[in-house]
Amino acid sequence: MEEDKKREAVIRVRDLYKIYRMGETKVHALDGVDLEIYRGEFCAITGPSGSGKSTLLNMLAGLEHPSKGEIVIAGKHIEKLNEKQLVTFRRERVGFIFQSYNLIGTMNAVENVALPLSFRGMKKSERLKRASQYLKMVGLEKQMRHMPNQMSGGQQQRVGIARALAVNPQIIFADEPTGNLDSKTTMEVLKLMQKIVRERNQTLVMVTHDNNLATYADRIFKIIDGKIVHIEENHREVDLLALEQAQETISTEGEGEKRV
Amino acid sequence: MRFFDLLAMSANNLRRRKLRTALTVLGVIIGTASIVVMISLGIGLKEMTIEQYASYGSLTRIEVYSNNRLGGDGSEDGFLVDSTMDSLRAIPHVEAVSPVLTTYVQMKQGAYTSSTQLMGITREAMKDIELGQGTLPDPNSGTMELVIGNMVSRDFYNEKTGRGFWDTGEMPDVDLYKQPFFVLFQNTGNANQKQKKYVFPVSGMVKGGVDDYNEYSYGIYTDIELLKAQLKRVYKKDPIPGQPTNKKGKPYNYFIYDSAYVYVDNMDHVVDVQTSITDMGYQAYSSMQWLEQAQEQTNMIQAILGGIGGVSLFVAAIGIANTMMMSIYERTKEIGVLKVLGCSLGNIRNMFLLEAGFIGLMGGAAGLGLSYGVSYLVNQFLGAALMGGQGGDISRIPPWLSVAAVVFAIVIGMLAGLFPAIRAMKLSPLAAIRNE
Repeated sequence: MEEDKKREAVIRVRDLYKIYRMGETKVHALDGVDLEIYRGEFCAITGPSGSGKSTLLNMLAGLEHPSKGEIVIAGKHIEKLNEKQLVTFRRERVGFIFQSYNLIGTMNAVENVALPLSFRGMKKSERLKRASQYLKMVGLEKQMRHMPNQMSGGQQQRVGIARALAVNPQIIFADEPTGNLDSKTTMEVLKLMQKIVRERNQTLVMVTHDNNLATYADRIFKIIDGKIVHIEENHREVDLLALEQAQETISTEGEGEKRV
Repeated sequence: MRFFDLLAMSANNLRRRKLRTALTVLGVIIGTASIVVMISLGIGLKEMTIEQYASYGSLTRIEVYSNNRLGGDGSEDGFLVDSTMDSLRAIPHVEAVSPVLTTYVQMKQGAYTSSTQLMGITREAMKDIELGQGTLPDPNSGTMELVIGNMVSRDFYNEKTGRGFWDTGEMPDVDLYKQPFFVLFQNTGNANQKQKKYVFPVSGMVKGGVDDYNEYSYGIYTDIELLKAQLKRVYKKDPIPGQPTNKKGKPYNYFIYDSAYVYVDNMDHVVDVQTSITDMGYQAYSSMQWLEQAQEQTNMIQAILGGIGGVSLFVAAIGIANTMMMSIYERTKEIGVLKVLGCSLGNIRNMFLLEAGFIGLMGGAAGLGLSYGVSYLVNQFLGAALMGGQGGDISRIPPWLSVAAVVFAIVIGMLAGLFPAIRAMKLSPLAAIRNE
């Protein structure tokens, strides 16, 4: 626990609920989630489909509003932000890697990587230069001018990773980043992500349903039915009792803050 | 996002759906062209009507006649005299007033002779005459210099045969500009009095050939003051023919004018001034009063034509809206991605507005080009037939219409794109995450 306190929490989630109404019944997609993620960590959120892991990621990235609870990212409460402020938040602090890459089909690799920079009003020459640096970093110096449909899935996802990195975000979110790739490419992409996170001290939150992939992460959050049931750290089992104690400490610390 | 980047993205989006963009643009082209051509026909019609009336006489001129002219009560009050001119000048928007003194003269050159009106008007009024040859009379000259109507010479006839142009179809052999001719003033009725022949210098000819009618074609014009002096010299104490006499048959000791020209500063005020003159108890005529009626008609025609054109542009606008909606449905995911990556809502809306505006711009510009083509063809092949052989273009595209058409097309495009653009702005970024 002392070790945790030393490290800076980039993401802090308290008592997070997401309740969908389906006619008469209420579905608890998230049912009281508490977690902290520290700077420079590579975290995996795993769980079976429908467990709420994607909902959690969407909320962390400011794509969905929680029903209840707090999300503090880099000291900023994002649960209260409106749509416009959320866009600004994502533009300034967040990188996103998609399962289906979601590259813009009419732009080549460099332009795709430079796209989020253009939203910040960066000059064309400047952002293209920066984009090509990142493409080199992911090993695509030969595919700079390729259109998305001229590249393999693995290459496209590398472009996607470069795009997420290029804005120099505080946190990178990845939603099943290898879901559309074969196993060999999956390993390559995962290793690349791991390497970059380590080298650049980036925070990466990855959602996956595959427990094997999660082993690449520093910490693994296991979600079932909207609750974190298990946290695995550095491949070491974390005692759930110890976790509860840790959460109690957090709640006492956060007394002054508003609780819903 | 920088404006240029936004522009580049919009253009890119249009380029990747070439066929659909082209079809939508085609709709705008047809819409713009039809509205421009229709309006140009309306403008052409309107201007031709004005030109037609202007050719009958100046549109800002009102002719004023005394009520006594056709045997009224003969009272002095109704006469057009110098004081009347002053009260006419006092009417607002009247720029100038010229009395008209008319006398009939006989002219002789060689074997030919003709009887014509000699009209005295002010120097100012003479400036209104368009000359084909020569100049207006020298303002400092004391001799009566004449300006001769371009159709006057056609009315000469041979004194011996009594036949002129209207009988033989041959132009009489007279040249009033270069050759001198005699002028005889009307006989007073006193048979003993011998008619004197005068020769006056000619300073200019009214513009146009013998077939080109204008309001000055048939008259001979000279300075009114010099004409008055001349008439006094000719008739001395005798009553001047054409001038009214009192009950005892004696002439008045001042000149009474046949009519007066009132010049108004602007076409729009002519009818008002005319009403004031009528209220003063005179008869007033202007081309404007007829033109105004004609204009009501042409305005209505123009509105109908514009409406027909407007309908097709409206249909084109629906086409733009439809295309934009389709494009947004197709790109739901892409828009979501842009939002996840932090593209601001305003940028997304503007991106689609620009796309729609682009379609409007392309359609408007091309439509304007098409309009010029159609307008040319209409003028070439239909104009003469429609206007019964009258000269001039029936379809006219003034510069303001060209500019307005393109601007209008862009505005229409953006308006049509507004709803889809707002819709795109409101799309959920979650669409990007969903994996279909």
